[in-house]
Amino acid sequence: MKCGNPKIIIKRKQSGQTLCKSCFVESIQKKAIKTIKQENLIDKGDNVLVALSGGKDSVATLDILNTYKERNIIELCAVTIDEGIANYRNDGVAIAKKHAKRLGIEHKVVSFKYSFDITLDEIMKNPNHRISCSYCGVFRRWIINRAARDFEADKIATGHNLDDEVQAILMNYLEGNIDNLTMIGAKTMSHSPLFRPKIKPLREIPEREIGLYTIAKDLDVHLAGCPYAQESFRGEVSEIIKNLSKNHPTIMYSTLRGFDKIKLALKKEHKHDFQFDTCIKCGEPSSNEICRVCTFLDELGKA
Amino acid sequence: MNFTLIFKNNKETRSLANDNTTINDILNDLDLSSETVVAKKNGEIVIEDEKIQDGDEIQLIQIIYGG
Ligand SMILES: [Zn+2]
Ligand SMILES: [Zn+2]
Repeated sequence: MKCGNPKIIIKRKQSGQTLCKSCFVESIQKKAIKTIKQENLIDKGDNVLVALSGGKDSVATLDILNTYKERNIIELCAVTIDEGIANYRNDGVAIAKKHAKRLGIEHKVVSFKYSFDITLDEIMKNPNHRISCSYCGVFRRWIINRAARDFEADKIATGHNLDDEVQAILMNYLEGNIDNLTMIGAKTMSHSPLFRPKIKPLREIPEREIGLYTIAKDLDVHLAGCPYAQESFRGEVSEIIKNLSKNHPTIMYSTLRGFDKIKLALKKEHKHDFQFDTCIKCGEPSSNEICRVCTFLDELGKA
Repeated sequence: MNFTLIFKNNKETRSLANDNTTINDILNDLDLSSETVVAKKNGEIVIEDEKIQDGDEIQLIQIIYGG
């Protein structure tokens, strides 16, 4: 106990530390600010675009970055992607709109339908569809990059948490995907000027603590599972980490720290110049003649 | 002895087995992990060791969804 307040809202298994509501909220903000400082995530005057789904991670990211906006260190804007999932996405979009309005932030909702002339629901009715997460990952990235240029944003902030980062490290390691492994980090730069750097202020905070933060701060968030979530490799890896964490509560922290240490060496050893060109169909940066979005759209008969 | 349980838009009265029942017992009962849920007792966030008393209102909020 830090302050003597007996109303404890968390007992951290990794440290045995117990915290009251206000000490917990402060500890989360401090942690994010420390990541931002140490990893040089923002510069004074930056216009930061938040990828705002309305879920707990993105709402917490917005909430924490807003403290920088309040101190006139940065400008904020937000984009919400409407994948077109009936009975699911509308709630998130409404919550995202509400937060943007409340904070006086420029906000845009961009749909798959508008961008690609097809909704995720329609994609999933196509007999040749891949698993839904493949489309979401690739299509969202494409939309966010365009939105970043439209907003003239200097950085793109996402709500990736500690669980997400550790899952990505383990997945890519286990699959031997060293190219992707070298791309994981607090700040992702690209050689293409069409990409804006991506920053992850919450990457050292466990997912549960981010959820607790939004509840402790009474932030309205969209809490629901995606109806298309299914057995995926990420899910299996996540299960392994959760099981390990039960008896080894510091395992996610040590995995992330260890990875951050070997990453520099990895990057140096594994350096190869990505030949970034632009997709001949959509003009977005791509290492192949036709980008993944256009490849997927072609498969769906939408090209 | 009873308490009210609010979970997933459901509100129900449950009987309390004894004085030492904790949030954790309820989570186990519902096959939920404390890693994915935040609990409130009478409107305030509590940890899973918190004991439940006669007349308490317990709300369980699932914050992590699988998949
Ligand atoms: Zn305190
Ligand atoms: Zn393309």
